[in-house]
Amino acid sequence: MILIFGGAYQGKLDYAVERFRLSEEDIYHCSEDDAQMPTGKKLIYELDKWILAMLKADACTASAVKRLIEDNKDVIIVCNDVSCGIVPIDPVMRAWREAVGRALAAIAGEACAVVRLFCGVATVIKSDGGLITDEC
Amino acid sequence: MKVFVSGGCKNGKSFYAQRLAKDAAHIDGGISLPLYYIATMRPVDSEDDARIARHIDERDGWGFATVEQYERIEEILLKCDCGGSFLLDSLTALLAEEMFRPDGRVDEQAAVRIVQGLTEILDSVSNIVIVSDYIYSDAAVFDPLTELYRKSLAMIDRVAAEMCDVVLEVAYAGVTVHKGKDVFRHEACV
Repeated sequence: MILIFGGAYQGKLDYAVERFRLSEEDIYHCSEDDAQMPTGKKLIYELDKWILAMLKADACTASAVKRLIEDNKDVIIVCNDVSCGIVPIDPVMRAWREAVGRALAAIAGEACAVVRLFCGVATVIKSDGGLITDEC
Repeated sequence: MKVFVSGGCKNGKSFYAQRLAKDAAHIDGGISLPLYYIATMRPVDSEDDARIARHIDERDGWGFATVEQYERIEEILLKCDCGGSFLLDSLTALLAEEMFRPDGRVDEQAAVRIVQGLTEILDSVSNIVIVSDYIYSDAAVFDPLTELYRKSLAMIDRVAAEMCDVVLEVAYAGVTVHKGKDVFRHEACV
């Protein structure tokens, strides 16, 4: 499992598509209105939206993320980092912000590589030396 | 050297960028290059005037010539010596000026124009420090105009980061070198 995260519009998907030579049919696009388990594709895009969908459906995000990790050992996960701004007033958005943080921590713990995108520049935060090396 | 600096707000990145630009102007043998501060924020009220006065105070004695350029950023090339050392602070203010026009209009093409101007500048000068703000990790749903502003700034940031030799993220006393580790040698002292 590979985790690619960063703020909005930082080039996360561009990096993944180029680095792993993916095409549109390899990508699962999460939606904030669909709480189904995002499986069947090489890359899960915007995992944060899936987490929001689960919160809207009153589902337990922690157990779903645990299942996602167990069932998708070879997937690439792309997620927006929403952890650095103001604490939202809306309780759902507040729960979302925390659930995304906990999900990223859990996934990063299990992933063989973790890459952060900053203004289009990729930095390898964690790597077991396999698919992704320090040179990205 | 061309350096792109971003990070959270009020965390010392402007001051750090100022030092980088000043150090770049001092080359071996005691020769100094012209040093330019490109001011991009058009003052509209007393709060802005106070902020500008504070920034001018901070730069006092550093040897910067201030060039006010609130739009058409590439025009600094007509006003300055391209061989000098430039500090452009900031892309954030420049985009706000270009996008939210004085007559109340919103220009959705502002980012495209700034990218063109910035590309021209980065192709023409050798020493520049460009400052932006990292505004992309909020847990909030913004109104469409604010979202367009974030998306536009990210587009400009990515071009600047791509064209610069060095990309830095400043967070108070820490500087992360995202690009250019092999060429960037500066004491990480914010």
